[in-house]
Order: sequence, then C-alpha cells, then structure tokens
Amino acid sequence: MKQMTCALALVSAMAATPALAEDITITVWAGGSNDSDHYRIDNIKIAANLLSREAAIRGEELNITVEGKRDFDGWDGFKQAVTLGAEAGNAPNIVVTSHLDIAPWASAGYIVPVEDYVDLDAWPLNNVYSNLMEIAAFDGMQWGVPQDAESRPFFFWKEAMKKLGYTDDDMDAMAARVEAGEYTLRDMLADAKKAVDMGLVEEGYGFYPRVSNGPDYAQFYQSFGGELMDPETGKLVFDRTAMTEMYQFFVDAVEAGVTRKNHIGTEWDQWYSEVASGKAAFWHGGTWHYGRYTGKEGNDDFFGTIGFTLIPAGNEAGRANTITHPLVYLVTDQEDDRAEEIAAQLVAIASEPRLNTLHAIESSHLAIGKAEAALDLYAGDRWASEATEVLLPHANAQPNHPSYGAFSEAMFKGLEAAWTGVQTPEEAVAEVEAQLTATLGDELIIR
Amino acid sequence: MTTSLKGNWLLILALSLISAPLVIMYGFQLIDSVSRPAPGGIIPQEWELTNWRFLWERIDSARPSIWRVTLNTFVFASATALLVCAFSITAAYALSRLNFPARRFFLAGLIMLHAFPTITLIIAIFIVLQFLGLYDSLIGVILVKAALELPFGIWIMKGFYDSVPWEIEMAGVQDGASRFRVWRELILPQVKPGLSALLIFSFLAGWSEFILPLVLAPGADAQVLATYMNAVIADDTRPDYGLFKAIGMFYALPVIAVYLLFQKRLMNIYGGGTKG
Amino acid sequence: MNRQTLLGLGFLSPALLAVVMFFLLPVVLTVVFAFTNMSTSTGILGGEYQISESDLRRLPAAGVREEAVEMLAGADYAVRADTLALFAAEFGDKRAQELEALHGGASFDDRRAMERALKDLRRDPIRSVRERKAAAELFRISILGQRFPTEAAFVEAITALGIPEADQAALTEAAYTGWTFTTQNFELLWELPATWRYALNSALYVVLTLAFNVGFGLFLALSTFYLPTRTAQTFRAIWFLPRILPPVLYVLMWQWLTWDQGFISAILRPFGIEPINWMRHTATHAWTFIVLINGCVGASLGMILFSSSLRAIPETQLFAAQVDGANRWQQVRFVLLPQMRWPILFITSYQTLSLLTSFEYILLATDGGPGRQTEVWALAAYHTALSNYGGNLEYGLGAAYALALVIIGILLSALYLRFFNFRDLVAKPRIEQ
Repeated sequence: MKQMTCALALVSAMAATPALAEDITITVWAGGSNDSDHYRIDNIKIAANLLSREAAIRGEELNITVEGKRDFDGWDGFKQAVTLGAEAGNAPNIVVTSHLDIAPWASAGYIVPVEDYVDLDAWPLNNVYSNLMEIAAFDGMQWGVPQDAESRPFFFWKEAMKKLGYTDDDMDAMAARVEAGEYTLRDMLADAKKAVDMGLVEEGYGFYPRVSNGPDYAQFYQSFGGELMDPETGKLVFDRTAMTEMYQFFVDAVEAGVTRKNHIGTEWDQWYSEVASGKAAFWHGGTWHYGRYTGKEGNDDFFGTIGFTLIPAGNEAGRANTITHPLVYLVTDQEDDRAEEIAAQLVAIASEPRLNTLHAIESSHLAIGKAEAALDLYAGDRWASEATEVLLPHANAQPNHPSYGAFSEAMFKGLEAAWTGVQTPEEAVAEVEAQLTATLGDELIIR
Repeated sequence: MTTSLKGNWLLILALSLISAPLVIMYGFQLIDSVSRPAPGGIIPQEWELTNWRFLWERIDSARPSIWRVTLNTFVFASATALLVCAFSITAAYALSRLNFPARRFFLAGLIMLHAFPTITLIIAIFIVLQFLGLYDSLIGVILVKAALELPFGIWIMKGFYDSVPWEIEMAGVQDGASRFRVWRELILPQVKPGLSALLIFSFLAGWSEFILPLVLAPGADAQVLATYMNAVIADDTRPDYGLFKAIGMFYALPVIAVYLLFQKRLMNIYGGGTKG
Repeated sequence: MNRQTLLGLGFLSPALLAVVMFFLLPVVLTVVFAFTNMSTSTGILGGEYQISESDLRRLPAAGVREEAVEMLAGADYAVRADTLALFAAEFGDKRAQELEALHGGASFDDRRAMERALKDLRRDPIRSVRERKAAAELFRISILGQRFPTEAAFVEAITALGIPEADQAALTEAAYTGWTFTTQNFELLWELPATWRYALNSALYVVLTLAFNVGFGLFLALSTFYLPTRTAQTFRAIWFLPRILPPVLYVLMWQWLTWDQGFISAILRPFGIEPINWMRHTATHAWTFIVLINGCVGASLGMILFSSSLRAIPETQLFAAQVDGANRWQQVRFVLLPQMRWPILFITSYQTLSLLTSFEYILLATDGGPGRQTEVWALAAYHTALSNYGGNLEYGLGAAYALALVIIGILLSALYLRFFNFRDLVAKPRIEQ
C-alpha cells in the first residue's frame, strides 16, 4: 500500500513541480573494502555526475553530493554500524555489502527493493548475469544489484606438481579433470601427502586452507554432497553425512601432516606471502587474490607458477564446485522517497559495464555482466578472462535466508573444534546439529 | 631493614626474570617503531622513520587523518574526565557527609553498580542513545562513558571526603556558615589531591576506551585512536607490525607522559580499588 | 524537607541522572530484551506488517487455515475490470482500452512481468520508468511482499482480500515483523551444549587469572618491599604500565610476541623448535596467554594494594622478628602474611566480579578461539548480540546471556556488602542538624 501511494504521489508531483534546483547528499558505505576497492564508492560518484548531466539536459538542476566511507572495523564493525544506523534513522543511502545481509535487512525493513525505482529490463541492468541478479533477490523481489563477482578457486603450485610427476599438459588438463570429478579432494590429499613426504613442502604445508571463517568452507560441504538450501521449501539443509565427511577430511589432512593443526588463526599476511611464494602445494582462495599475489607479494609469473581449478569433489555424492559471494549495492529505507529513488538510479548507472570494469580490473574481481568481456580493459586482462571462463559458469551462491548466518557460524565452529582435535568429527557434528535444531527449529531440514 | 645484600640480588634476579617478557615487549615496541627487522627475524636491520608515515600522509585514502582522530580522542577523554569529576565531587560529598533520606539505599546501589557488567548492557544503551538522538556522536559516547565511570569516581571521592577530619566541618558549621559554603570553602581544598587523581584516572580511562566508541559511534566523525588503530590492524591486506607499533607508540605517548608526571597519585587511586 | 536533605539530593542529582539514564535504564531494558526474540530481522524499534512468499508455508503452523492461505497466494498482478478502472482514472481511457485489448484477463507473477505488459502499449506509451512503476502498482491484487506500517492498514488490506475474520488475528500476528515476547532464549540457553562450556570457561578464566593476580601481586609487593626504593620503583613501574596502556596496544604487543614470526618463535628457531603461533596453537596455549595477558594487568592492582598495606605494618614488628633470628621467609610467613588477610580477601572478591564480566582483552587477543575454547560467558554475550559474520545479530539471546551476569553481579555484591560490614561503610554522618 505504502509503495503504491508513494508512487502515485510521485506521479502527481512530477506533473506539478517546475524546474527547481535540487540538492541532495547520497552517502555510500562499503564494507570489507580496502584501497583497491575504491571504485565501489567512486563509481557512485561518477554515476552522480552522469545523472546530474542528464538532468541538466532535461532542464533540471540536480546537484548530488556523494559521501563515501569504507574504513570500518572489519565486517563486524560495518554491519553493526549499518544496522544500528538504520535503527537510528541515519543509515547511509547506499550500502555495499554481502548478499547474505539482504534477508535479515529486508525483513527488518532497513532496505528497499531497487526494483521499486529502476527498470530491470533496461540497460544496464538487463546486461547483468541473471544468476547474479538472482543472488541479489529475495522473496520474489529484486532488492539489490550485484556490485562485483568473484569466485573461490582451488590453487596448486606448479613446480611442486611437476616434481610429483605431472607434465605441463597434465596441469593444463587439471581444471577439466576436476570439473569432471576425476580428480577429487582425496586425490589431492594423497598428492599433498606425497609432496610433504618428498620434502617439496614443509610439514603442514601440503594443503593450506583459508585461515578464518568465510563462504569458502561451504564449498567443501558441497564437495561432499551437502546442499545448503532445499529449493522446494526454501529451508536450510543440514546434511549429517556430508558434514561429517567434510570435517573428517580436514581431520585426515591434519593427521597426515598435510595441514597444520593450529592453522586457523594464522596471520593473513603470513598466509598470503607463503602461498604466493610456493611454500604450500595446494590451497584455496579467491579470484581477487590474484591482485595480491602479483602485487604486494611480488609473484611476477602467476600463470607460470600457479594453476587453478574448481574446488574438487570430495566423494561420489559431491561435485566440483565454487561459491561466488558477490557484494551487492543495496538502497536503504529513508524518510525521503526521493533519496531512495536517486540512490537506486545511481546504483543502476554504476552498473554500466565500463564503470564496473574499472572496479573489476582494479580489484581483481570478475565482471557482473556479459558486455564487460568485450571491453578492452577487461579482455586484455588474462586473469579476469580465464577465471570468468573456468569458474563463473559453475558458481553458485550461499542462500539468502535470514538464519544462514547462524548456520554458517555454527558449521565453522564445529569444523574448528574437529580440526583442532577438541572433538571428533562425529561429536562436533552432533553438537552443531543440536545447536542448529535449537536455534533454527522449523527452518532447518536435517538429512 | 635491608640486611642481606645477597638475598637482594637473588630477589632482583627473580624479579627481572619474571618481568623479562614485559620488558622485552616494551623495548621492541620502541625499537620496532623506528626500525625495520630482517624478514622473519627480530634484530633491527635499518633505522628509519617510514613507520611514522601515518603522521604526514593517509595510510589508506579512506581513513580520517590521524590528527582528526587524535583530537577526537582528546576531546572524548577530557570531556569524560571533567564530567566524571564534576558529578563525583558533589555526589560523593552528599553520600559521605550529608544526611538525607534513602542515603543508605544510594550507597548500597553505588557499591553494586561499582562491579557491574557494564559492557553487556550495550544494546540497551544504544536504544537510550538513539532515543536521545545521540547515537553515532561523540557527545553520546562521552555521556555513556562518564556514566559508566561514575560509580567508581563517586566511590573514590567518597573515600577522600571520608578522610577529611570532621573537626574542619564542625568548626565551619559552628561559625555559622551554611553546609554549602563549608563544602566549597573548607572541604573542597582538602580533597584536591583526590580530585586531580580522579581527573587523571578518568582521562586515561577515556583515552584507552575501545568498545564503546566502536559500537556506539562507528562513523568517521567520531573515530578515536583505539578504533582507528584496531581498524588498521584488522585491515588484513597490509598488516605491518612496524606501522602498528608506531601508531601504538603515538597513542601511548600521552599515557606515558601522564604516568611519569603523576606516578604517585595514580598509584594512590589505583590502590583505591578499580576494575581489574 | 530540611535544607540538608535538599542539599544532599541536589548534590546527588546530576550523578543520579547520568547513572539512571545510561546505567539503570539499560539494566531494565536488558531484562526486558532477554524475554524477546529481538534480532536484526525483527529490528529493535518495532516492526511493520508483511506477508512474504516464504511466509506462506509457515502460516498453517501459525494457526491460519489453508483456505485463507490460498487466498493470499496466487498471482500478484492482474489486468481485470476493477484494476483497469483504476488505471483508466490515472492514465486515461485510451491507454486502458489498449491494455485491455492486449492483456485483458491476464495475470502476472511479479511486477517485472506487469511492467513488460505495460511496455506493450504502442499508441501512447508510458515513457517514464517512474510512471510505469506507478501504473503497474495499480494492477496489484495481492498483498504478498507489501509492508503495512500499522496493524489497522494490514487488517484493512486482508479484509479487502476477503480473509475470514476467524483467521485475521492469527494472520496479523504472523505478519508482524517486529519482536515479540518469548521465553525461548532461556530454553535455548538451557538446551545448548555450548552454554555449559562458556560457563565453565568463565569459571576457569576467573579462577586462573585470580590465582595469578593474587599470587603475583603478593610476590611483587613482598619482594619490592625488601628492595631499595629506586629498584622497587622500577619494577613497580614495569608492572604498572599494562594497567594504563590502551588495551588495543597492549594486546598488540602480546600478538607480536607470540605470532608465527614473532619474538618467541624467532628466539626458539635456533634450537630447532618449529615456529608456531604461541597464542593460538592449542587451547592450552590460548589459555596460558589469556591468563598472562589479563594477569599482568590485574597483578598491578594487587601489587599496589598489598604494598600499601605492607607499609602500614609497624616496622617494629619486623625488627622484633629479626632480633628473634627469623630469616626473611619466616618474617614473611609469620609476620607479614597474617596481616594481609583482609587485602587479599578484598582483591579476591572484587576481581571475581570484574573478571566475570570483562572480555575486552580476550576479544582482542583470541576472540574466543581456537574453536571457541576461550569463549567466556561475557564474550558470548557480545558475540551473540553484536558480531556475526552472517549478519543476523541476536539481541534478545545476547541480552539473556547478559542477564545471567547481571543476576550473578547483584547476588555477589549483595553478599560482599554483608561480608565487608556494610554498616561501617554507611555510618551516619556525624553532623546532625
């Protein structure tokens, strides 16, 4: 009802208002962003410039001031700031955040659907990959627009592989073999063990996973046949067998001396420098790591030293997969409907292929739309092109469910308990199950 | 009563050993902020000031300038200290010397609040601030911090008032002065040392505060050094202990200066019992 | 009311106001929140009314009958006589006629499809996106996904849809997006295995840190007592600094000491010991450093208090002991320690409470890791209410955690009041007017 009256009011307002100078300030908060991600904010500034020019041609004077902020105390600080700010009625107009926030924030009324203000069938939004658009939708509404795409590949160090007996051709074919399920996590574990035994890498460096919680670990759950959400009912799924086998896999890796027992909590700085310099045989990361490996860590020959594939399947039940965790532009609920409208339009303009490519290449992310591949800047970047080709078609996302955060947190805490040997995988799974049953209740299907 | 020199040397040795980790940390805190160690090692290779670059350039274009943050921290700490002192000197005097209904009740309440899980109240505090329109503002955090420090401040000041001899007050009252005048002209000068100690203490407490500004004032306008430093550390793309330590050094300088100047008074007030 | 009362209350009131606003009121609110399901999804300051697609399957469990649910489901937009009439009134008869010719009788699942249908208008197209959206809204026949700011508006809408009165109450309750009162937080706390672990962790943390604090505080006080003033002062300064250094910096120093390429690893490497993260290697490592980090802060309090009590002991007693031929240990054991009973008791009881509720240093050092092994109760409250990677912060549950601490705090301090002779503390002022 509210939307309708607003829309009607707008229509009548439009007919009546003469050309008046309009000044509006749009604030943009970007979470999890560092220097190389500055286009998350700058693209909105460019968009504001374009929108003002368009207005000027129509004979309207529209002055948009864009204020950006991205120096938050990690994701926690950012989310606290946005939610508490929204409660206090001074939320920023546009937020750049994980798509997982859509469900809780929509249900709390902090954000408004972009589809209220922009035409999804028009350029540039009709150019955005539909599976990415899907990720920014919830409950049948388009809440946000993907800001970037990425994917979380599996990496291997080519020199170590060569010494293990893989030829260059073998390594080139690796991505296809992983995709077909011919090379599994268990094969990888065996290779990693060999690499440690042969002294190619130090003990604990055969398989060198991510050091903190993140979407990455849901990939391994999927590798062992786990499913995150039941498409029929929209409920979250806790697959006991898959979870146990996934925990067991990491426990086995520790027992084989391939992965360190205290690996979780390693400094990121140290982790990056180690994987970029070949201290580890196998690891997994994100497509944006390319920028870090070749930049700060000084790996000049990325393609000569590092190979990448999907996350291999773990067993028969599972599949090779990768999770994409796109950040999305969301428009927050404001008293002033006009601010919401301008914000949504800015978001749409910032999704122009040219603008988005600036961000994609600068920060080693992937394109959000088809047309970007045709731009020189994008096509000229070998990493962006290859990663798009190998990974993006197989990428799925974590479900937009209000309780997914609790699910993901519990899954990782259980993994950590098993990994560090505090509990056996079975005990850990049982505890996670008990906790999730208690907290999610009806919203969880146990398999 | 220092009789056995040998015994003293043993004692000093034992004390030095257990203090070694702390001393090492302090030492390298200083050294690492002005030098660069060999990769993977600890011995300084080169002496340099690049770690201090945050003073003259932005280490990340999105961060506010260090001077702005320092100013905020200073305003936050001093305003908190002034508020705590202003409210404590009157309230403590009332509790210590004046007889009024429900005094026992207030005193008991004070002692209870003194050891309260303040930080777990933070969501509720947010709602109150939001209601007052003070969320995400320096003023809001100042008020909250001052309120949370008050029970301690009043308790300390009450201790100081309690030790002022009754005779002074009696004499004043017998001369016909009002209780207010007695307080202002006779008693206040007596508790000055306590007041300055409390001022220093509350200033330091405000200067170090981390969680309250983190949660209640996340905006750029109200950043303080604690949240600034933590954000620099948390930003995982450029962890750099040299830089962290230089910022830490900068952050700690006023604390060390205050300590050197007011050592005795500080020891006094901490002896008065505080949050541990 | 006499003047003294007025003056007393007047002197008290500024402090009282601050404490009530930012201290007592939050306590009361915490108690209230503990009995709610408040979270990010429900919002803090009240909700609105909305039935979304995913709510439909939950409605039968909430007591809404199937037939009412079916009325809610179905297409969102339809081009039919009544909606066309609305459209004609706003956008003109001609457009309405054309649309009827093109799509009369059609229904659409979402607005995007409805907008596409409107784009088919050729004779006098609706060119502006905003107008087209407004036009599309006129064809909405379902309330799914719409937010109603008040209960009245929602009831009006479902009445218009023809939902029977019998189902309206249950439906309205299910549609409310804000928080509601519940006792499930406490049931949850009772059921979760983690609860007991956090409680145990807290107990472990308090006992170990306290033992360190009192033991070290005592050792420092006694040893510096026997040393020449300057030497004693140096050591006191070393141990006092952790207390006044900002926690963020202080913990950073420990991180540097313990991380894989940090000090401990570096000096142990020549001895063939593999570099590890000494703070996070295992739960035991983590606990050791948690106790050390907190202990070094807490020991100085003991040190200062004990030192001043020691200085208060008449020197003659010590001389007497010396004359009797007592060595230093015997002096400590038989002369000094017995007189330290009260300060020790005070530190113990005081720090029990403050340790129980403090978590700042743990948050900065291990954040409860590895594997939640160092997650103490107060930290669990903070994490539950304010920090969650997935974004759904559970304020209600967090408040329930906090409430437990509040109750323990009140009980313990009431106990201490009795114990430390409250009567003396509140002795009546001697000037009676």
